[in-house]
Amino acid sequence: MRINVKLIANYQSLLPAGTIGNTIELEAPAGISVLQVLTPFGVPLDDTSVIVLNGLTVDLNTPVSEGDTVAAFSAIAGG
Amino acid sequence: MNGWHGRLLRINLTTQTTSIETIDPQVCRDFIGGRGVAMWYISKEVDPQVDPLSPDNKLVFAAGPLTATPAPTGNRYMVVTKSPLTGALAHSNSGGEFPTWMKRTGFDLFIFEGRAEGPVYVWVDEDRVEVRAAAHVWGKDTHETTDILKAETSDEARVACIGPAGENLALMAAIMNDKHRAAARSGVGAVMGSKNLKAVVAMGNKNPDLHDPTAMRDVSVDTSKNVGADVKKGSNMRIYGTSYVPQVTNTLGIFPTNNFQQGTFEHTKNIDGDALKNQYLIRHTPCYRCPLSCGRLTEVPDGKYKGKGEGPEYETISSLGSGCGVHDLAALVKANYLCNEYGMDTIGTGMTIAAAMEMYEKGYIPESVIGQPLKFGDHDAMIDMIKKMAHREGFGNDLAMGSYRLCEKYGHPEIAVTTRKQEFPGYDPRGSQGMGLLYATSNKGASHMEGDVAYEEVFGVPVKENPLSTDGKAELVKHFEDAFALIDSSGLCVFVAIRYVFSKDRLIFPQRLSEMMNFTTGAGYTPEEIMKAAERVYNIERLFVLKAGSTEDTLPYRMLHEPLPDGPAKGKVVELDKMLPEFYQLRGWDEKGWPTKEKLEELGLTM
Repeated sequence: MRINVKLIANYQSLLPAGTIGNTIELEAPAGISVLQVLTPFGVPLDDTSVIVLNGLTVDLNTPVSEGDTVAAFSAIAGG
Repeated sequence: MNGWHGRLLRINLTTQTTSIETIDPQVCRDFIGGRGVAMWYISKEVDPQVDPLSPDNKLVFAAGPLTATPAPTGNRYMVVTKSPLTGALAHSNSGGEFPTWMKRTGFDLFIFEGRAEGPVYVWVDEDRVEVRAAAHVWGKDTHETTDILKAETSDEARVACIGPAGENLALMAAIMNDKHRAAARSGVGAVMGSKNLKAVVAMGNKNPDLHDPTAMRDVSVDTSKNVGADVKKGSNMRIYGTSYVPQVTNTLGIFPTNNFQQGTFEHTKNIDGDALKNQYLIRHTPCYRCPLSCGRLTEVPDGKYKGKGEGPEYETISSLGSGCGVHDLAALVKANYLCNEYGMDTIGTGMTIAAAMEMYEKGYIPESVIGQPLKFGDHDAMIDMIKKMAHREGFGNDLAMGSYRLCEKYGHPEIAVTTRKQEFPGYDPRGSQGMGLLYATSNKGASHMEGDVAYEEVFGVPVKENPLSTDGKAELVKHFEDAFALIDSSGLCVFVAIRYVFSKDRLIFPQRLSEMMNFTTGAGYTPEEIMKAAERVYNIERLFVLKAGSTEDTLPYRMLHEPLPDGPAKGKVVELDKMLPEFYQLRGWDEKGWPTKEKLEELGLTM
């Protein structure tokens, strides 16, 4: 299935070299979890990151579905 | 005294006389400093029913006990007054250099009262204070004014001033310092303008004495090292400043778009941190003694939006960008420069224009009244409106009253996205429920700076909260409001304070901040005592707001009755009724939001 991975601001550097913008589409096996999607990118999977599925707060073991977007950004005060 | 100078400078602009007074050490201890001590004086000396633009209102500049100490980001001051925008309380915060220079004059507070007969500025060089004529800078923008007044006082001095917007009593007028920094919100610049006070120029060498200089130095160095370690790892705040936030809020569906008609903006990538950094960033420009350095000098080098200045920050990108449907970055950056030069709050300015755009598109305000089309996304029309607002020309005269009064005048109050008549900042609370409770209850009207629970709901600092849930939000909002009252009273910046001088608990706890306060002042606060003092500050402000007649804690129609049409929070409204009763209970307030007799006794306050 096709899913999207969006890595925001300083996490963009974790996307494959040559990526334009902060989002890539990739092929992933059915049943893959949010955690499993992000692991290969080296996104810190602790409280230093905010990770959302389609913009929503979820358990990181939540399975990802066709067309979903997994997004992550560094937890930092600002705004 | 240590930390606090224990002295205030009172300037009567009507009589053009000045006096120096001591501040009761017990008042300093009980109300912390800065915002808290300023509020104690406002509460004692200003009738809550006073016309905010009359000579009877007072304008207080207040540095905190940690201002001008080694504490990283100990560079803030607060402007406290009765607000002409909200009819309630204004307490607006700014950094840069002026606050430190102000504290080094040897005063914690400047209190301006009365009204000068003609334009004046006040020049404070320690105890040498002069009220000088300012007719030659009246009408000039904040940059020219700053340059001229430094040239005729001292290049070593720092300037806080108003621009044309403040002179013309526009209700979103800011007080700008160091050209680019703003005590922006609630119309504090209009109060300054109503007093014919164009500028305050400050300089001195009186750093506050410290109770334990060695311990204060050590804790400050250690805190700076912690900030530095994050910066070295690649902190977004260093790389982008707050301009990285549009991508975050857009992803969560809370990026105010077209006057909060939507929560996502299809052109976000055109106005986000990468676009700004790649096209216009020159260098970082930190406030005094800040290891984070989120400020940025930018330049649009050529074309019709040519200009140079600082920013824009996230809130400006949200209000003058997505809020107005604007995605031409050069125009947005130029609009930000103009607001700084005219001395205007970019949130109030942008969201008032956004409300006018919506009313224009819906046919509620005809083109003949505005004098031109005013569609969402029309960046040139937005820039025209900014100029007209500052100078109160034509339709700009209506806009200068802010969105609440504008929408009411044209018969559609439901279009205004305000609480206590103040425009919302850049977090749509339908997708950030705690922010909804904050906006509804905030003493100063809608403001993230009143207790920014977006830190947890949006940014995951120090822990991540589900923004769509109402569970536990009453407790979180109450706690953050008190924590922000503490930070604002201390003289620190929230960006560094929240992450580095509080504990990393859901209910952040001021362990290190208490240490800094004690090493500086010798007051011997426990963290519990200092949080109680912050609660005292919040409640004395609450009493003033209620007595001013601003008694309703609610949200505008759109937030309660129009579900978000798009994005992750689609279908949501703010469930205020699920949070407000619990909030009142936790606050020790009655069912109408008034502090109970028991709560006031506990805090040592009287009605």
